[in-house]
Amino acid sequence: MIGISNLKKQYNGVTVVNIPELTIKRGETIGLVGNNGAGKTTLFRMMLDLIRPDSGEVLSDEKNVAESESWKDYTASYLDEGFLIDYLTPEEYFHFIGGLHNKSKVQVDSELPAFADFFNGEILKKGKYIRDLSKGNQTKVGVAACMIQNPQILMLDEPFANIDPSTQIRLKNMVKDISKEKHITTIISSHDLNHVTDVCERILLMEKGKIIKDIATNSNTLQELEQYFSVLS
Amino acid sequence: MTLTFLIHQSKAFWRSTNTGKSVAMRVVMGILILYLLLNVLVVAFFLDRILSRTNPEQDILYSFNSYILYYFLMDLLFRFQMQELPTLSVRPYLHLRIKKNQLINYLSITSLWTTFNLTPVLLSLPLLIKIVIPQHGHAQFWSLLVSIIGLTLSNHFFSLWIKRKVNLNAIWMLIFFGTLILLASLDFYFKLFSISTVSSVLFKIVLAEPLYCLLFSLLALVAYIINYRYLKSNLYLEELHTADNSHKSSTEIPYLNRFGKSGDLVANELKLILRNKRPRSVVTMSLMFMFYGLIFYTNPTFSGYSRIIFCGMFMTGIFIINYGQFMFSWQSAHFDGILVSKVSAMDFFRSKFLLFTFFSSICFLLTVPYVYFGWKILIVHFIMFIWNLGVNTLLVLYFANQNYRRIDLSKSSTFNWEGVGASQWILSIPLLLAPFVIYFPLDLLGYPEVGLALIAVIGMIFIISREFWINKLVKRFQEKRYLIAEGFRNK
Repeated sequence: MIGISNLKKQYNGVTVVNIPELTIKRGETIGLVGNNGAGKTTLFRMMLDLIRPDSGEVLSDEKNVAESESWKDYTASYLDEGFLIDYLTPEEYFHFIGGLHNKSKVQVDSELPAFADFFNGEILKKGKYIRDLSKGNQTKVGVAACMIQNPQILMLDEPFANIDPSTQIRLKNMVKDISKEKHITTIISSHDLNHVTDVCERILLMEKGKIIKDIATNSNTLQELEQYFSVLS
Repeated sequence: MTLTFLIHQSKAFWRSTNTGKSVAMRVVMGILILYLLLNVLVVAFFLDRILSRTNPEQDILYSFNSYILYYFLMDLLFRFQMQELPTLSVRPYLHLRIKKNQLINYLSITSLWTTFNLTPVLLSLPLLIKIVIPQHGHAQFWSLLVSIIGLTLSNHFFSLWIKRKVNLNAIWMLIFFGTLILLASLDFYFKLFSISTVSSVLFKIVLAEPLYCLLFSLLALVAYIINYRYLKSNLYLEELHTADNSHKSSTEIPYLNRFGKSGDLVANELKLILRNKRPRSVVTMSLMFMFYGLIFYTNPTFSGYSRIIFCGMFMTGIFIINYGQFMFSWQSAHFDGILVSKVSAMDFFRSKFLLFTFFSSICFLLTVPYVYFGWKILIVHFIMFIWNLGVNTLLVLYFANQNYRRIDLSKSSTFNWEGVGASQWILSIPLLLAPFVIYFPLDLLGYPEVGLALIAVIGMIFIISREFWINKLVKRFQEKRYLIAEGFRNK
């Protein structure tokens, strides 16, 4: 589904991402971990064609994301609040996003109740603009907007940060469910090792722009990761 | 404490990522302000002569006195439009061991540094020295000066207060303008009373009894206290942020649906304009420009088509120019979102054209009443409307592709130089010159109508070939989008 080759990005002489080879198969759930500055967000941005790589390419469905726009049809992502149109109400935003994927307002409205638990009554029909929501609630809007797009690829950058524990668990279940039911490819970055090992089948550990570990999740993975991070500190 | 705040402010300024640019901007601004002050000084120096020319039968001091209140009413109006609310981002200080009144005093004191406060004194001082001291004496000189300073400060704090009130509730704006309009109409239209008489009587009393000037100081103090108390009771995060918690409707604009995705994008952009302070004030400013023609068309000394071309271009194209020059910075806060969403660059550009057409048409319709000054005006306006849609839209969008500056939508637009860069200045050159490059040669040869027709034809050609140009723009956009997105991420 996604292929990366010779991907490199430097800022002021410092290499922030350097990935010679990476293949992500359809339906995989990938967890991206690594300390701050390891290059997770930069990698995401290059996969979404927001940053031009110094060299190399990202292929989505065999097509270079920088050249073709077709990946936008099946890729949903939420990296930060810069993805939200903050002067819209959440409903307006969902309608807009739904509209881009040829869903009518009524269709979108009929899908929203499914998020009732996830939203915990704080998003819909509050009459607030997105800019007036808390950061956690903004994350919820961003994640829900991803789900509305019925994606085949889902990319979330630190979705567990800023949201409350019960929503974290709901989000985890939501991601698990859709990746199982709809067989979608999911890439999630997180600092929460528990969550990430719980949701993801495959963990990529980044350090200074490189993927230094590529592990299929098993019962020992959490321990292995904890060990890596504690040694570093 | 005030000093610490000042130091923090200066650090915030010097350490911000685009300091170099804003320093350059400030130098330009500084020169501009110096120039304006110089003008004020010249007027001030010759004020006695000007007054004796305009009101030859009256005593100079009498006419000076009668204008004082008018001046301060106008001053209030201009302050309301242009004066900036002092901003220290108080958020990081509110939870610390800093008394609220220290914060408020800081806000009040730093706000005093504005040209609005300097002009009245500069303007009146030479006249006071030249006329009042020899004719009436030093006590009278000081009392008039203190009165003028008192009125300046009252205006200052009053306008800060009313602006904050308006920010929270627009009804105050209606009340404010309503009162001013009422006063003006009672004076000039119904002639029930005359502000000038009130003014001259008032200051005659001050001249007779110098101590009355303290009344104006008292007025200033009252204004300060009102502003102070208002700030003190409103210095809370939620209230400084948005006090408006009324339900936001999510009504859609039905007409736009038929334009497909670009229609949706226009609907979003209309919301952007209506719901954010800076774009909203750009649009209100544009509406003010509809009166631009009154300056030129009522004046018989201007003749020929060139003034109509100029006015017509500005009035029908003011939105394209004013709003378009900052594209795509308006969307800088969610530009990443646009890039990854299923919006093709083609639709994105089409939506811009749609938006421009929409607003330009409104502007054109609003300028139709100028037909009162002659049919020619209406025809030239229409030609310039075509020109704006054909050429200026393209020009503006071409420059939008090299604009990498982020804009904070929530700040007001007067004297806000955020997002202003070289591209805006360069843009203004072809924008202003292009129609005249076409028109003037033909005018000199004695065929002004042919010149106008040529402008219209060129405008039409560009409208018809728009698709071709959009393709060019999209291509350029694809090359530049990384730079644009990176610039916009830079807060």
